[in-house]
Amino acid sequence: MSHWTDGMEPDDAEQTLIRPYTITRGRTVPERDDLTLITMVATVDDDELPAAGRLEPEHRAILDRCRTPAALAEIAATLDLPVSVTKILIDDLISLGRVKVRAPRPADQGGLNTTLLQAVRDGLQRL
Amino acid sequence: MGSRDSEHAKRPDRPGPAPEAVKFLVAGGFGVGKTTLVGAVSEVAPVRTEEYLTRASAGVDDIEGLAGKETTTVALDFGRITISPELVVYLFGTPGQERFWFMWNDLVQGALGAVVLVDTRRLEVSFASIDFFENRGVPFVVGVNCFHGHRDRTEAEVREALDLDPAVPLVMGDVRRQDAARDLLLALVDHLMERAAAGEDEAVRDSA
Repeated sequence: MSHWTDGMEPDDAEQTLIRPYTITRGRTVPERDDLTLITMVATVDDDELPAAGRLEPEHRAILDRCRTPAALAEIAATLDLPVSVTKILIDDLISLGRVKVRAPRPADQGGLNTTLLQAVRDGLQRL
Repeated sequence: MGSRDSEHAKRPDRPGPAPEAVKFLVAGGFGVGKTTLVGAVSEVAPVRTEEYLTRASAGVDDIEGLAGKETTTVALDFGRITISPELVVYLFGTPGQERFWFMWNDLVQGALGAVVLVDTRRLEVSFASIDFFENRGVPFVVGVNCFHGHRDRTEAEVREALDLDPAVPLVMGDVRRQDAARDLLLALVDHLMERAAAGEDEAVRDSA
């Protein structure tokens, strides 16, 4: 007996929308709301931590990438995942103590910090 | 170093050895040379990242052109300039479709400032970016992209056509050249430093 779904392409139209969120087991927003595009992420040295256990391959890819600290946007680009999905995965790793993060200063502080601005200026002049 | 690292390991929120990151935006309409500018000064080839924007995540109920459409994908290119082991500058070239990235709060928030690129043959494609930064109070400079050194309008003409606040710096240059792109960013940083110096006075004047 045939069924009305016979012959339908599986997943086609929704594929690009749905699939990244399967990595996050359906979550579409991280628990924390303070991760930004330029939050710096650094992998915590493994020695003192329990085995990586049931991390997803994407989690492991983040841990590999962030042995050299990287901005969240860079991690998303490396993994070829949308920013929002990457945030959820990093949020997981923070909860597990696997990465440490450094948030940027709020713009109204950084933009008025002449020491910071002078350092940026000096660096640009060396280009 | 070892003991310091393990201390940070237990306190992942505490600032650690990761460098501080600062963000500048490079905006303007489609085809004005945003990615070209980013590529001219970035130490790596511009990297592409993307994000899903939904009306819910953008915090708006309805947006013209998005009515009935819940999700859209926007892509942007960004570059990196490592100033020192402690400080990294990220340059984000905004996506061409303003109505989408204007909703992307994470892209705009935390930006110390912006460069708005204009093409003198199509000034109008950059109007929306200028309006946006003015309304959001994000400091910016205008870069007039002079392809091939071609200057068909004077600075005064461009200023008038853009109805630009006299306090906003305007710089002419071919942003494919690293020195021109760098000078544009330096103009932005100088503008920020002037604002920082005048900050308190301005606040008083604005409230008067």
